[in-house]
Amino acid sequence: MSNEEKITAALTQKFSFLEGKCNITRARRVWVDVDRNHIIEMLDFAKNELGFNLLCTITGLDVAENLEFIYHIANKEGIVINVRTNAPKSDPVIKTVLGVYQGATYYERELEDLLGAKVDGLPEGRHYPLPEDWPKGQHPLRKDWKRENLTQKIKTEE
Amino acid sequence: MILDKVVNWARIKSPWIIHFNSGACNACDIEIVASLTPRYDIERFGIQIKGTPRHADVLICSGPVTMQTRDRLKRIYDQMAEPKFVVAVGTCACSGGVFKDCYCVGGGIDSIIPVNAYIPGCPTRPEAIIDGVVKLLGSLKK
Amino acid sequence: MGRVVIPVGPQHPALKEPESFTLYLEGERVAASNVTLGYNHRGIEKACEGNTYIENLYLIERVCGICSHSHSTCYITAVEEIAKVEVPKRGLYIRTLIAELERVHSHLLWLGVAGHEIGFDTLFMYSWRDREVVMDIMAMLTGNRVNYAINKYGGVKRDVTDDQKEQVLKAVETLEERTKYYIDVVYEETTLINRLKDVGRLSNEDAMRLFASGPMARASMIDRDTRRDDPYLAYAEIPFNVITDDHCDVLGRTIVRAKELIESYKIIRYVLKNMPQGEISAKVPRRIQAGEAFARYEAPRGEDVHYVRANGTDKPERVKLRAPTLANLASITNMLDGGYLADVPIVIAAIDPCFSCTDRAISIKHLDSGRENVLDFEGLRKYSIEWYKNQGFDASKLNKKLVL
Repeated sequence: MSNEEKITAALTQKFSFLEGKCNITRARRVWVDVDRNHIIEMLDFAKNELGFNLLCTITGLDVAENLEFIYHIANKEGIVINVRTNAPKSDPVIKTVLGVYQGATYYERELEDLLGAKVDGLPEGRHYPLPEDWPKGQHPLRKDWKRENLTQKIKTEE
Repeated sequence: MILDKVVNWARIKSPWIIHFNSGACNACDIEIVASLTPRYDIERFGIQIKGTPRHADVLICSGPVTMQTRDRLKRIYDQMAEPKFVVAVGTCACSGGVFKDCYCVGGGIDSIIPVNAYIPGCPTRPEAIIDGVVKLLGSLKK
Repeated sequence: MGRVVIPVGPQHPALKEPESFTLYLEGERVAASNVTLGYNHRGIEKACEGNTYIENLYLIERVCGICSHSHSTCYITAVEEIAKVEVPKRGLYIRTLIAELERVHSHLLWLGVAGHEIGFDTLFMYSWRDREVVMDIMAMLTGNRVNYAINKYGGVKRDVTDDQKEQVLKAVETLEERTKYYIDVVYEETTLINRLKDVGRLSNEDAMRLFASGPMARASMIDRDTRRDDPYLAYAEIPFNVITDDHCDVLGRTIVRAKELIESYKIIRYVLKNMPQGEISAKVPRRIQAGEAFARYEAPRGEDVHYVRANGTDKPERVKLRAPTLANLASITNMLDGGYLADVPIVIAAIDPCFSCTDRAISIKHLDSGRENVLDFEGLRKYSIEWYKNQGFDASKLNKKLVL
């Protein structure tokens, strides 16, 4: 069994809801679909039992009526599990993974700023990466957001 | 009148420069810094890079103006004493470059402050930077 | 004297400088610090969605001028994976050659910047002069000193001739000699060692917890290098060592970068000697089939990651990139806290940050007296050099000593 197959076997053994949701696309790349309510326990298991202690980044996407989040985690053999979860735009709430991955702050703030996600449990803090005076409710990475939406135009001396 | 001529001569012979990056990718900045190094050695022209705008004659700017930096840029320009000159180094500083239509970018440097010299390039070669600054100084002579 | 807890929250400094770093001082020591980012945020990811794949190649190169090839290659590797295109071996080898040359130029650049931050300006001048050797090679191979644009979908644009190979080998020989000298300086010059030792400490546990990357991580004993762990380009076939160091401080980071230069020269020689014959690029369709890929790359500053999703058109659905400096910045407050104010410039420089050097303003709040100042980075740098002069570290003596 390859290392990647060992990992998917361990995941499906531990979490029955992952049955059929793991996909190996090539060497060192595993893709897993998880419901947002199970994401923390799955990441915790991957980190503490399977050695995936590096969170590379969190990608947020705007897909039709949902917001999609992919957590890219790696272990020291260079294998990456891409953990995908969804939240509907009507309720774009996910829990923070700071309890598992302490360096995730910037990545989660980026999701809030650029996509309008709400990360439950993320401590208060400055925006990242948008400036402090960015108008509320404007999330540039949403597909329906256009630059013209900015009421405060970036121009010469106001 | 003579005092003016002396001051002008001093300014042309040894302009003090402040460098500001308003959101660039750093390529132009490292070429500006490279012009200080032994191969290009901008200091032999008497050009010195200073740390504070209050001592500077020339503001060398790189990068497009992002939303976050435009107030800083204006403030640095205001802190310089007259007469002051602005050189926009790099295509982004001249017009916004590849980032022109990005949401956090306003445009080139001249969307915020008046520019005296535009030096295009992506990034601008040190020779072009020196050439641009020397041309600016030459125009001061007149 | 108790420590006052200052709530750090969103501020709207209407008239004050927007702070990049806020330091809370107790006497000379930094009790707490806070960093603000986002000055260089330009909105590239959104722009990528509106451009074709070919236009994005030009844009992504300009995410960072110092590691432009890193971003370009990482992105193109992801797209080629989605399109299921195999790049010919020779193309991969040429990309690897440029990648390692970029690492050399970046580390030499860093060496100079670090020297400048502590007042050791001769090192700055010498290392940047040596860097010009690399810039010339790059210009010869690719046509430009910076922003090489050697990549195209499916391979590279330009081939390497035998004559060019000879010139690169000669350049590498000169550089290796100089680098060995710099390594001796770092290991033997006691004043320099005392200046950098125990500055900006980042323990192994903290580095793991906060996802430090690249030389930062390797100087804290983390044996992690994407070139070896998750090989891309030609690295699976090339023998090289991953340099780690146990100092966990700025001295360690200096040692790691200097020794990595030697490894890069090894890799460059291997690549030139073993470059396979053949095509340098394969054909790639204009429309990329639907799919997604995640690519990782060991940029000079650390791990660079790109995620691309394609939707079957000639424009990508989503491009996400995370530059290495962001991963390292999570550790900055850890490293500044407990240290002296005078150490701040070199600690920040030791991450090898990819944001502009003059952009930073430092806001200083004295917890005991309640005073507040704003310093610009140049001011803090000068303060640091003066402070250390009073402690006995005289960079001007070092400047006289370093003679090549």
